[in-house]
Amino acid sequence: MAVGTPSRPVGAPPTPGLGVYDAARDAGGSWAVMRGFVTSVRLGWQMEANWTDPLLFVIYSVAKPVSSALILVFMLEVIAGEAGRSFRSFVVIGSALWAFVMSGIAGLAWAILDDRERYRMLKYLYVSPTNFLVVVLGRGVARLAVGAVGAVITLAVGVVVLGVPFDIAAIDWPLLIISIAIGVVAITALAVVMAAICIQTRMESWSYPEAAAGALFLVSGAVFPVAVLPGPVQAIALVNPLTWWIVGMRDALFPGGISSVGGIGTVFREWFGHASPAPNETILALLATGALATLGANVIFRVSEHRAKDRGLLDRTTGS
Amino acid sequence: MSASISAPAIEVRDLHRVYDAKPAPVVALRGIDLEVRPGEFFGLLGPNGAGKTTLIKILTTLLLPSSGTARVFGFDVVNETTQIRRIMNMVAGGEQSGYGILTVREQLWMFSQFYGLTRGDGWRRVDELIDAVGLGEQRVQRVSTLSTGERQKMNMVRGLLNDPWIFFLDEPTLGLDVSAARGIRELILDWKGAVDGRTVLLTTHYMAEADELCERIAIVDHGRILAIGTPAELKRRVQAESIFRLEVDRLDHGPGSLARLPGVLSAAAASAGELDAERQTVAVNLVLEDDAALSGVVGALSGLGSQILALRKSEPTLEDVFVELVGRGFDAQEGSNAPEAGGPDDAVQGEPAVEAHSG
Amino acid sequence: MSAFVRREGGSPLESATWTSRQVFMTNLRTVGGRAYPRVTGMFREKSWVFFEILLPFLATSAFVFVYRAVEAPREYIGFVVIGGAMTAFWLNVIWMMAQQLWWEKSQGNLELYFAAPMSITAVLFGMAFGGFVMSSGRAVAVLVVATALYGVEFAIDQWLLLGGVFLLTMSALYGLGMVLASLFLMWGREAWHLTQLMIEPVYFVSGLNFPVARLGLLGAVAISTLPLAVGLDAMRQLAFAGAPYPEGTPAPEVEVLILIAMTVVLLAIARWSLAKLERMARRDGKLSIRWQ
Repeated sequence: MAVGTPSRPVGAPPTPGLGVYDAARDAGGSWAVMRGFVTSVRLGWQMEANWTDPLLFVIYSVAKPVSSALILVFMLEVIAGEAGRSFRSFVVIGSALWAFVMSGIAGLAWAILDDRERYRMLKYLYVSPTNFLVVVLGRGVARLAVGAVGAVITLAVGVVVLGVPFDIAAIDWPLLIISIAIGVVAITALAVVMAAICIQTRMESWSYPEAAAGALFLVSGAVFPVAVLPGPVQAIALVNPLTWWIVGMRDALFPGGISSVGGIGTVFREWFGHASPAPNETILALLATGALATLGANVIFRVSEHRAKDRGLLDRTTGS
Repeated sequence: MSASISAPAIEVRDLHRVYDAKPAPVVALRGIDLEVRPGEFFGLLGPNGAGKTTLIKILTTLLLPSSGTARVFGFDVVNETTQIRRIMNMVAGGEQSGYGILTVREQLWMFSQFYGLTRGDGWRRVDELIDAVGLGEQRVQRVSTLSTGERQKMNMVRGLLNDPWIFFLDEPTLGLDVSAARGIRELILDWKGAVDGRTVLLTTHYMAEADELCERIAIVDHGRILAIGTPAELKRRVQAESIFRLEVDRLDHGPGSLARLPGVLSAAAASAGELDAERQTVAVNLVLEDDAALSGVVGALSGLGSQILALRKSEPTLEDVFVELVGRGFDAQEGSNAPEAGGPDDAVQGEPAVEAHSG
Repeated sequence: MSAFVRREGGSPLESATWTSRQVFMTNLRTVGGRAYPRVTGMFREKSWVFFEILLPFLATSAFVFVYRAVEAPREYIGFVVIGGAMTAFWLNVIWMMAQQLWWEKSQGNLELYFAAPMSITAVLFGMAFGGFVMSSGRAVAVLVVATALYGVEFAIDQWLLLGGVFLLTMSALYGLGMVLASLFLMWGREAWHLTQLMIEPVYFVSGLNFPVARLGLLGAVAISTLPLAVGLDAMRQLAFAGAPYPEGTPAPEVEVLILIAMTVVLLAIARWSLAKLERMARRDGKLSIRWQ
């Protein structure tokens, strides 16, 4: 048979079992992106939910966020006693929401490290036709979902057990829905930044997402009002999308409580002229800071991806 | 405890290994009996899933047998693991172990410390062996940047650091290109040949490799040893006679004139190839009792005035031996073809086709 | 080639028989050998300077501001600064030790370790020492910077005792890490989830961010059973001598004895559990199977 001669005549039926090439499958488009995303989500969920003991999974999903809240509640109780009770709601709500942030930020980064170091599948995910960022996002969604469940349960524990005042009729539903929607995007953007960093760093960077979340904890108004921070640090908090997300969620679910950004003598008051933000201001601020974070995350991820390709980082193992 | 050079290097008696697996337990080894002499280069040859890796993991103290006994230089693999670990080392094919952030030299030095070399001796030994295997240029390269062949050379150095009395090699050339694989084989032979008494146990599913390296081979399938012997002995199971294809410029009285010679069992005209037709040669397939009868044939041809143009011996391969024993080739297997991993995949469920032969 | 010439021992029996000194020295060298990649890795990739020092400092600062927000007594700032420094070691134990053997199995290194003649405990000591070096930088940075920035005033009367308490806390903590390493090797993927599960609760009951002695009965239980809780409480008492403590808080000298007992018990448990789990892993064929 001469070189270049097809091994099977054009138009002949395909070899049984090998299927037929479907050009539409590789045509790209939003459907292909969605399919890739959904597949990655399923994969991420399989990984996250791979517990031999479901009870342990439940405990894990609940114990982590509830413990964080309880640490702070106990602290308040012992240190401030009765006087601290008014602050308890603030702390519980912020702690519950922060559990969601932690899960979200860590999810994508750990997916990168897992796939690169343990399963050595990262290179195969990268060369698949689905956009790499879409795959990474999908992998992290499962952990975000687990974090959401934990946050809801912690809030429920706060209301039922710890006496956080809650009135379902008082929920600002538009503010809540918009805050969740934009907030998830912002949290995901931060998660993408962490993932971009972990593509570059070695295996020991498992702890980096938590370190980053711990640092953001300082400038998010989660468990204390930013008013206690020095002025320049308050300014940093005001450009942090997480700060506005927490404000939005807090004001939507538990209106009338202590403001995490406002107050007399705060940078917020200095900039905006009044003590605490109105819902539309919160949404605008969240949108603006979220958009910046998303744009920045996209750029950082692309740069990281390019550098990783350039230096052959996608299929290396880096243990020590 | 008779752990001396006079004790067998490996002694295995009625060894069984069963893995708990779903849906049913997997029997990886079914009553293996084996003895390897000190200084021998012994091969375990068999397809994927035969039980080779399971056996080697038991002998290297990484796995417990379900029943039976195994000793390495007299030390029991179950209870005297520390002693065995001091005198052996192991390298597997496709190993990706190591710390990517270290250089080759550092990675190997770390392991030298695990084997008790002093700090200075460790560096010296590592440098010596790196040069000996031809990894000098990669000495300060990070492990994560090595090619497959270079990584396997590094693994071989790791295996030689403690100068083992017995070296276990589990498919060491797996995944290597021809040149790299040849380099590894030469390295193993050089190392073994440098000092008397070094023993090597090699598992492989490459027949040519076993044929080239091993003094004795055990053919393994479905957890049983089917046959043990030197490569020549194993091939003689399939074909006791010596078969040659002979090409001469002429043969006046035809192949029948050769058939009457002593030691010649048959002589028949071979099918003419293209070259035969062009050259007008005569090709004959000769079946002799043994190689010694060939000299008589050569003498007779000379007497007949025929000139020998080509002489080629036809030998069975070890795969022919396997087919003879099992009734199928290496590639035509029942069940999965999963690579050996020392786990439940390292066996095939169900009964073997042929009763085991204990060596 | 000279590299292939036999080096020592005239027979397998001679080579297999090691003196106690050989065994000890091999294990000692193993500690150094295994610590080497950890320490070297620190200098090969420097992202940890930002993520392991600056960011944790900010996280500690968050709790400082929580205390300021609730107008806690001044000494609480000092408590959380010490806790923040010690967090580095706890995270090192839980991330870099507890799941390390499970990680090594995934990488294919574990069976090489078990096939070598040194003690696996020595390997873990090496990992612990390497991790300790890594964490010390973080701890010192958090301590120094936070002390300067937040005006923490220490009052230390017994430096030697404070140093001894710190070392004993480390030995007990890393002993716990070894016990966890063997358990996690057994539990496989569950180990990852358990690591996650343990972080916040241990923060709480160990008193990393809050002096657990203030919690009454719960605090007393924590102090008597958790190395970090005992060590932190003793260090806080010694670092802020004269600060008020709840009645019934054990004296630092008593806590030293608790730590010594914990160290001995935990190291003994670690040694026993590693041997037992090695046997179980060899029986079940789990030394070289990944993703379990």
